[in-house]
Amino acid sequence: MRGFLAGFLLELRVVRANPDALIPLLTAPLFAIIFLAIVRQSGRSDLEPDALLAPVLMSLWWIALVQAGSMITADRWQAVLEPVIAAPTSLASVLVGRIACLMSVGLLSFFEVWLAGWLIFGVSIPFEHPLELALTLVATALAMAGTAVAFAALFVMTRNAYTFINSASFPFYVLGGVLVPVAYLPDWIEPVSSLLFLSWSADLLRATLKEPAVDDFWSRLAMVLVLGAITFAIGRAVLFHVLRRMRAKGELATA
Amino acid sequence: MEAVEVEEITRVFEPRRRSGTRVVALDDVSLTVPTGEIHGLLGPNGAGKTTLVKILSTVLLPTSGRARVLGHDVVDETHAVRPLIGIVFGGERGLYWRLTGRQNLEYWGALYKLSTRDAKTRGQQLLERVGMADKADERVEEYSRGMKQRLHLARGLMGDGKVLFLDEPTTGMDPLAAREFRTLIGELRDEGRTILLATHDMVEAETVCDRVTLIDRGKIVATESPRTLGQVLSRFQRVDAEGASEEVLSKIRALPGVSSVAAVDGVGTRIEVDEEGVTQLVLELLVEAGVTSVRTSLPSLDEVYVQLIGERGMEI
Amino acid sequence: MAATLNVMRHAFHAGLADYRAIFTWRSWLAGWYVRVLFQVGFFALIGERLGDDDKTYYLLVGNSMLIAGQLGVFSLNMTTAERWAGTLPLLVASPSSPVLVFSARGAYLAVDGALSALAALFVAGPIFGMDLPWPRVLAVIPVTLVIAAASYAFGTFLAGVVFRFRSVNSLVVVTTYVALMAACGVNVPLSYYPEPVELLSRVLPLTNGLLAIRDAFAGAPAAEIVGNTALEAAVALGWMIAALLSFNRLASRGRRDGSLDYGA
Repeated sequence: MRGFLAGFLLELRVVRANPDALIPLLTAPLFAIIFLAIVRQSGRSDLEPDALLAPVLMSLWWIALVQAGSMITADRWQAVLEPVIAAPTSLASVLVGRIACLMSVGLLSFFEVWLAGWLIFGVSIPFEHPLELALTLVATALAMAGTAVAFAALFVMTRNAYTFINSASFPFYVLGGVLVPVAYLPDWIEPVSSLLFLSWSADLLRATLKEPAVDDFWSRLAMVLVLGAITFAIGRAVLFHVLRRMRAKGELATA
Repeated sequence: MEAVEVEEITRVFEPRRRSGTRVVALDDVSLTVPTGEIHGLLGPNGAGKTTLVKILSTVLLPTSGRARVLGHDVVDETHAVRPLIGIVFGGERGLYWRLTGRQNLEYWGALYKLSTRDAKTRGQQLLERVGMADKADERVEEYSRGMKQRLHLARGLMGDGKVLFLDEPTTGMDPLAAREFRTLIGELRDEGRTILLATHDMVEAETVCDRVTLIDRGKIVATESPRTLGQVLSRFQRVDAEGASEEVLSKIRALPGVSSVAAVDGVGTRIEVDEEGVTQLVLELLVEAGVTSVRTSLPSLDEVYVQLIGERGMEI
Repeated sequence: MAATLNVMRHAFHAGLADYRAIFTWRSWLAGWYVRVLFQVGFFALIGERLGDDDKTYYLLVGNSMLIAGQLGVFSLNMTTAERWAGTLPLLVASPSSPVLVFSARGAYLAVDGALSALAALFVAGPIFGMDLPWPRVLAVIPVTLVIAAASYAFGTFLAGVVFRFRSVNSLVVVTTYVALMAACGVNVPLSYYPEPVELLSRVLPLTNGLLAIRDAFAGAPAAEIVGNTALEAAVALGWMIAALLSFNRLASRGRRDGSLDYGA
């Protein structure tokens, strides 16, 4: 618990001092404006909720991929990884704390996009199912955090991490049905998409903003959490393995 | 119970690429450090000092052999070892540069299981102790090398470790700061801590440590008291003189304990001695003859090694 | 003149070498190009969602060309790379103009931008069932090059502006190309914008060139296509001049206050 809090507080301080942390918070309202413009110009105000939700998911994913993903690698370059390993608190708990902080910051984008939509396009969407919306957002953030741990572990292993980071944004936005639901993709993609918690989150979030009651809410929410938990478990296992290997090979610090 | 026990530790680094070389960083090294001792690990760069320190601080696994810190195995009992040790690796990196010195310390305090309040208090105490209290709220990226070094020491003490591993802690420090640092290390020992100090600075090893282990190319060369080291240092001094006449040089050559008198490009004449007390005689002769462009220097670490290895088994 | 061209030629090759160190053909395809296709596809799919083929193609063309804009903006990163490598003060001290050397050094980005944009268009287009009228569609190639050049000039100008603030580099890069995505008629026609935004967009890279490209697909008269392309070229020139001024100011200011230091 202490490691979690230490990590959370550390990241809060790092974020305050790091302009890059603002990137997802600046792009979210911009994307919201872009999507709303498209949707409005085509006269489809029923798609406004979609236009507002997509940027939030994109920002959270970006945080998991880029900011959280490069965390361990950056620590290693900064020669901070070794001392953290040598400390009696587990690296995993510190990592989770830091990621939790980033996700909390990322959730601010939710408020931003609504504000941008209202200010610029006069969009006002009633929250038909506020509790379900809130729960889905939290579940999504948790699943994102789990995925972030997996990214952090993976990227410290790969040499060309940044190439992957660059390429793993939009492919996942498409396959995860972040803006355009997976149902509109070719049939053969659907099995792949259903493995991503993103597609479940996106569908569920859109459903909570529509008038009719949300079908199968609890089982769909559970899918988000389960898929996120599986990713977290895999990530944690990879992390332990990677750290152990680095300890054996003497790679915890760069030369 | 000894503070540190190293038993036949070997550490090999396999090459990453096929073209690389296999490096034996530590070769069958054994060492014991009793509690409350400041033990120096003296050796040139690449000798294996850092490798040994990393193994003992649990961030590197040995290829073979065992080591224990305060009775706990460093490979299998990391949970027991880590709360007991403090590490000062030093250098330009190793700190979160966007945070202030104080924030860095509080983070490390939390990692060493201190409550927020305790971390704040101890952080402040340590900042004062290392003389960084007035710079504590500036970002680390603004710190000079020496300031970072002092912060590293404070960070290493946040966990209140019983055994401290210091790896080249005074590199890059100016002489005054380095001297303060060494006083501080003495204080830490008086508090009952054990300190393993890795360094390539002979003077530092001689002045601070209770015992010194010399290590070179992964092997232990000798374990000596600093007095012995000091004796070697003072014995094998050299004197460089410019403008000395042949007359005075032949007098010097005739002195017992002078091992060589040779002309060296750019230096003038280099006079090497191999007995204690001879340097003084040489200097007196030179000054009497009116030679004032004189410089003395200590032997290099290599030369000391050669002398020690060469005289193994003989009384120094 | 010949000496400057020579320096530029060397600078171009140096930049290309740097680039090759980061990207092999495989990593460019698997890393960058895949992302490009998905980025274009992401927007094109919106048209599918709307059930409007014309909109699909509109978004597809716009977002393909945006890729050229995006890469041009990446040139912003170069000055920080130079500064970190400690070469900027050396450059300023040399007899060559820093701006010209820079522009040559990063020119590979403009080439990559045009290449990526065209590769996206000609692959994603058929995937979404878009008609590529031959040979009219070849007109797209030179226009894309002009767009890439204009974006690159814009990026170079911005590099001079944010030079002193290394830490906001990534922030400015990402925010800028998303802003281009919003303001240059990429996703919605210019007529949809309020007038001040439309006027602003006309001086930004990509806007005019994109109109020319849409003209080419729509079969508009050649004069219109050339006209819009000329506007794009004018925008490119304008930003290049602005970049020159901004760099000169940077160099003189830097010499005064010491901000041109090595590896700061």
